Amino acid sequence: MARYETIRLAHGSGGRLTAELVRDLFVEAFASEPLAALTDAAVLENPGGRLALTTDAHSVTPWRFPGGDIGRLAVAGTVNDLAVMGARPHYLSAAFLLEEGFRLDDLAEVAASMKRAADEADVTIVAGDTKVVERGKGDGIYIATAGVGTVPDGRDIGPHRLEPGGVLLVNGTLGDHGIAVMAARDGLDPSGSLRSDVAPLTSLVEALLAAAPGTRFLRDLTRGGLAAVANEMVAGRPFGVRLFDDRLPLDPGVVELSEMLGIDPLLAANEGKLLAAVPPGEADAALAALRGHPLGRAAAVVGDLLVEPQGLALVETAYGSRRVLEMPIEEQLPRIC
Amino acid sequence: MTPTDESGPQAAGSGRSASATRPDAYRDPVLVAALARRIRRLAGDLGRPVKLMHICGTHEHALGRFALRDLLPDDVQLLAGPGCPVCVCDGRLIDAAVRLASEPGVMVASFGDMLAVPGTLPLAGERPGDVRMSLLDARAGGGEVRTVMSVFDAARLAAEHPERQVAFFSVGFETTVVATAALLRRHPPENLSVIEANYYTPPATRLLPSLPGFQADGLLLPGHATAVTGTGVYRELPRDGIACAVAGFEPADMLAGVAALLEQILEGRPRIDNAYGRVVSPEGNPRALAELAEVFEPATRRWRGIADIPDSGFDLRPAFKRHSARERSPHAFASVADASTEHPAGCRCAEVTLGARTPDACPLFGRRCTPDNPFGPCMVSHEGTCRAWYLYGTARGRIPVRTAEGGTGHGAL
Repeated sequence: MARYETIRLAHGSGGRLTAELVRDLFVEAFASEPLAALTDAAVLENPGGRLALTTDAHSVTPWRFPGGDIGRLAVAGTVNDLAVMGARPHYLSAAFLLEEGFRLDDLAEVAASMKRAADEADVTIVAGDTKVVERGKGDGIYIATAGVGTVPDGRDIGPHRLEPGGVLLVNGTLGDHGIAVMAARDGLDPSGSLRSDVAPLTSLVEALLAAAPGTRFLRDLTRGGLAAVANEMVAGRPFGVRLFDDRLPLDPGVVELSEMLGIDPLLAANEGKLLAAVPPGEADAALAALRGHPLGRAAAVVGDLLVEPQGLALVETAYGSRRVLEMPIEEQLPRIC
Repeated sequence: MTPTDESGPQAAGSGRSASATRPDAYRDPVLVAALARRIRRLAGDLGRPVKLMHICGTHEHALGRFALRDLLPDDVQLLAGPGCPVCVCDGRLIDAAVRLASEPGVMVASFGDMLAVPGTLPLAGERPGDVRMSLLDARAGGGEVRTVMSVFDAARLAAEHPERQVAFFSVGFETTVVATAALLRRHPPENLSVIEANYYTPPATRLLPSLPGFQADGLLLPGHATAVTGTGVYRELPRDGIACAVAGFEPADMLAGVAALLEQILEGRPRIDNAYGRVVSPEGNPRALAELAEVFEPATRRWRGIADIPDSGFDLRPAFKRHSARERSPHAFASVADASTEHPAGCRCAEVTLGARTPDACPLFGRRCTPDNPFGPCMVSHEGTCRAWYLYGTARGRIPVRTAEGGTGHGAL
């Protein structure tokens, strides 16, 4: 390992350099027994309950951004997909696609970041793979993770349980990840106040479900932001979504930059935010539980599910006027004026 | 506007205190409700339907985003006029940019908004119907097109690529051309050229009342553009009987502008009110105007779908002509399209741009023409009226709701 400072094609060839990379960097960083066994597959204890399985590929430029990096993102992204199904995440696998020339100390930093996020999420990284692509054929580093969790008996969370009257909550400020990464990419945040919200939501979800066991629906607000999720919830369904403009939590720095660029933070990505639909009787308990968690301090009740109009996501302004919130249609590009 | 007890002290007029410079102060629901009440009262006193027109894409976005039309009485209709520089940009200039992008040794630098706007050159194959080439099509065909956020980005590209002509597609109104002028005065790289697609709005605005289909009693003048030009350039409009008010872009700014227009119409005394006094002064921005005049001279421009309008554009002055893309590559500008073919068949952007037709009255709108698959520029550009109407569901009008508890509402204060 110490012989090289950067990734070479041989690190992905399956030979000695690959073995050294796995042993000295990944096994070392992830501190996981099943991984350290270096077998073809991890053989794991089944904690009981129905299995939940998900997979997610991650690419982000720059790979290190204010508030996180691609490693933290790769863990949180997959863990959160499990958590919002009511699953308790247990195991992750990680496949790395590295570009020739990527620095090994940067890779070690990414691996350490993954380990910290995995510890926060209470998951173990048990399997992995590494491939190297020629210089110019990748963007430094891509990470694909898969996750296994278990859904405790009796938990039933999903779109089939949505119905009019449901109260909608989010656990904090919206669009932070998308706007922070865009700012980092283009050097648009001279004061350095913008931060990605990337975080695993395992313990937040458990706290929410303990306080509001009737929770009907959870969804992490990733690409497309709240707008995409609100539209997916109601598409072809016999109810609508109403969001209250003046209750949507927004970071002042995010508002400032997004207004300057003509980008709507409701359409921007989050990596540590979820939308919850709870029965009206549990809304107060749900809000209190979210606000009592470090990742939910700015939680808010942001809307409700309507009988009419069906199939539409609306934003109601502080003035009582209403507009449609459309599904995001494209990559958000800054406007010209 | 005349301050009243309802709108509060310094409501949206000349307040210059620290708190008044925050946009939040102009989104305040109490202030907005007071202005809406005032508008309803004025409209009631007027007792007849009135049509007002704004001429700014940013105004249309504010109207959509805050659903402000919901707050206006049914008798007050607020139309969208020619407020989108991308939408009125001469299709032949897009053709020129497309040709330049495909030329060896040339790179076109364009705002993202402009990339998908079709010019007049037919695009072979691909999609059925009357489909025209955009810069995106040029890029897909191997042309060199880069997205920039400002003319300064384009200058940077020119410095990085000394072997190429970097042609900046300088589309925009007087607000945008100020930056181009400022850059050209500071000795940019010699390989930077400019596609002179900047438009000067006052001559077009002055022409509006004489155009067929124009039906507004009053004009909401654009705050940013008027901050550059000052209000004097519009003095003919009140003489022609058109009420005028300069308005900013927050909800209270816009409603204050609407109230000022209704007041003028009610009194029968058209004038130019400045409801955006915290930004706009009567004389405009002298320094910006001086820099503009040093670099550019007035020129006739084609407003797509509208008319050739004298003095409504900017040509580089002789001292700066070496930066003109047209001078450097005249062959790329030899488009033969005429007015009858400048929009694709069936597209009603020409009427939409003039406020003579609302987007939902175009047979393509929301059906064949969507932001995913736009036909005309008004659906392509973020400043375009059709796009804003699509995104915010404006054509639905007030949207009634019914809650699980049986509550209803009609989306108005």
